[in-house]
Amino acid sequence: MAKKITGFIKLQIPAGKANPSPPVGPALGQKGVNIMEFCKQFNARTNDKEGLIIPVVITVFSDKSFTFITKTPPAAVLLLKAAKLEKGSAESHRTKVGKVSKTQVKEIAQLKMPDLNANDIDHAMSMVSGTARSMGITVEE
Amino acid sequence: MNNYKEFTITAIPFIPEVLAGVLWKLNITGIQEEDTFIKVFCPGVSSTNQIEISAQIQKLVKEKVIESFVVIEKVLENKNWNEEWEKSRKVIVVSNTLVIKPSFKEYSAKPDQIVITIDPKMSFGTGEHESTKLSLLFLEKYVKRGMKVLDVGTGTAILAIASAKLGADKILAIDIDECCYENSIENCIVNSVQDKIDIRLCEIKAVAEKDFDLMAANIQKDILINISKDIRDRTKINGILILSGLLIQDKEEIQHEYERLNFSMLEFEISGEWISIVFQLC
Repeated sequence: MAKKITGFIKLQIPAGKANPSPPVGPALGQKGVNIMEFCKQFNARTNDKEGLIIPVVITVFSDKSFTFITKTPPAAVLLLKAAKLEKGSAESHRTKVGKVSKTQVKEIAQLKMPDLNANDIDHAMSMVSGTARSMGITVEE
Repeated sequence: MNNYKEFTITAIPFIPEVLAGVLWKLNITGIQEEDTFIKVFCPGVSSTNQIEISAQIQKLVKEKVIESFVVIEKVLENKNWNEEWEKSRKVIVVSNTLVIKPSFKEYSAKPDQIVITIDPKMSFGTGEHESTKLSLLFLEKYVKRGMKVLDVGTGTAILAIASAKLGADKILAIDIDECCYENSIENCIVNSVQDKIDIRLCEIKAVAEKDFDLMAANIQKDILINISKDIRDRTKINGILILSGLLIQDKEEIQHEYERLNFSMLEFEISGEWISIVFQLC
């Protein structure tokens, strides 16, 4: 008989660096999941993606066991990567720190479409473009 | 234990993906997504605060990605988050010889059985994980009386304690995590092996001794590759190295790295998706 699912936990944590401090500890601990077991598995599976932020969805079952899937990094992280930047601008309205092409924005929007709750690709692209501008990254036409 | 800052953030429209994305430039440890809000965490000593977080999200308002938002800050007291799970721990019979148990469980040991009591709190090394079991099985095979052992990334000190009970004479157990350091001391005392095990809060680079008969490191691939030379420099010629915390697909890279440093692979064992490898320094 299939195990009963008791909940889902959605986290974003740096690749290869999960540890029992928040958010992992409180989120998994209150569902009685073995925190260290999750950390061990997550770190082993993501340690070759050093420097990236990894969204992870953990499925918790009634016997406190769990499975998890990792997703693509947040759009903001992908924008930094596309613009070859380490971080965004502190004053995005004044200081532009990089640029991305509309094609890159479209690629990111397509990749992140399921996470953006967007109606269509144009809506997703406008959210990605807005995120880019908020980080001081110019979107080239 | 250090406290944490927890920021609860709601926004209209609520798009966790977009909200979370702009906050990673701050000094935060992670984000939890719920249906109508996200929680963002950072160490209590961090300079990150409500104003800084709000300033980041305000940029999304300015770019019309979101209309409005609210940020609430509170202090989250650090504690043993694993407490609930710990209550469900059982006795683990690793082999005919080695048994791991939590302190609140009784176990009647058979003759020649070695029982190790571990209360992990928030440290790695409970005895449940395949990588720990594989390491324990290899320790059982390779630890000889009088050996000098280095346990790198000791966690609960489970491997160090097993080494002591299997006959090793002196064990140095190191970890860079303060919780693990405190927990490993407690576990050594519970198992009455504190005289044999020297526990230090340090990296392997800080270990001055260079003549270990056996090295054990149950960590993860990238770290085991980063510290490969440090491990080699502290292993005796003909000394044994047990590496664990590795996925099967990590084997080739690890083997290549350690053979490059004059280690020869003796054997490996697989359990589920995990692998442990034993090397000898030539």
